[in-house]
Amino acid sequence: MKTRIKEYRTRHNLTQEKLADMVGVRRETIIFLEQGKYNPSLRLAYNVARALHTTVEELFIFDD
Amino acid sequence: MKTKRLLWLVLIVALIITIALIALEQYYVAVALIIGTLIMRHREIWSLIRTRKLPPVDERVRENTGKAIRNGFIYFAAATAFLMLPFSVILTAGPDTIHVLTGLFLSAGLVYLLSYLFYDRVEPKIAERRLKVLKTFLLIAGISVGAFIISVFLHNALSGLFGVEEPVFFCIAVFIAPLALVVGLIGSLALFIVGLAAKSS
Repeated sequence: MKTRIKEYRTRHNLTQEKLADMVGVRRETIIFLEQGKYNPSLRLAYNVARALHTTVEELFIFDD
Repeated sequence: MKTKRLLWLVLIVALIITIALIALEQYYVAVALIIGTLIMRHREIWSLIRTRKLPPVDERVRENTGKAIRNGFIYFAAATAFLMLPFSVILTAGPDTIHVLTGLFLSAGLVYLLSYLFYDRVEPKIAERRLKVLKTFLLIAGISVGAFIISVFLHNALSGLFGVEEPVFFCIAVFIAPLALVVGLIGSLALFIVGLAAKSS
């Protein structure tokens, strides 16, 4: 799984810490998400997408 | 709120045990307990001091908690067996043996603590190849402790049963296992430091 979280986060001038605060997770979780090393729940994926003003499909790219 | 109460409970229990240990003149164990508690809960304590809030227990942390409890149980079971060893097999009655065993136990505990606390932070920051090496070092450290316990037991059992000086398990327990533990410890510590110092991409 690849994600575009970092790209969107920098576009919105957000730090990992700030984004973590916004979606109610630890900073480490954001790091794991950005590197595609963690499969988030639908709720978390939705919250991250909402915090970055985009959609889940835009943020997460799944390899077939 | 529940987590906050639990944190207070852990801190109060640690304080009571520490006072009891000091009263029993077990100063080293008391110091180890204080340091252990501070290290184990440093994130929560630091967050309380800084923001008066506990860090969130998110879904990933919740998933990892089960694994951490399981690993902790295995470690403490092994550690208990390890500390009981000199008493059960009467290795030697001298205090030096107990000190050596305690030292080895604490070293293994250090590796466990480090992996428990920092693996999560180090994993995303170091390259895949280095992560494999780190896992290998951690495995070497863990296996060496197990090999030491089993070898001491087997050496004593064989010597006791057949009355012969058994060399293979003796060599494993005295030379190979401690050496492997040192290699595992130094290797994993070095990679943990590299990982913690690295910036996330």
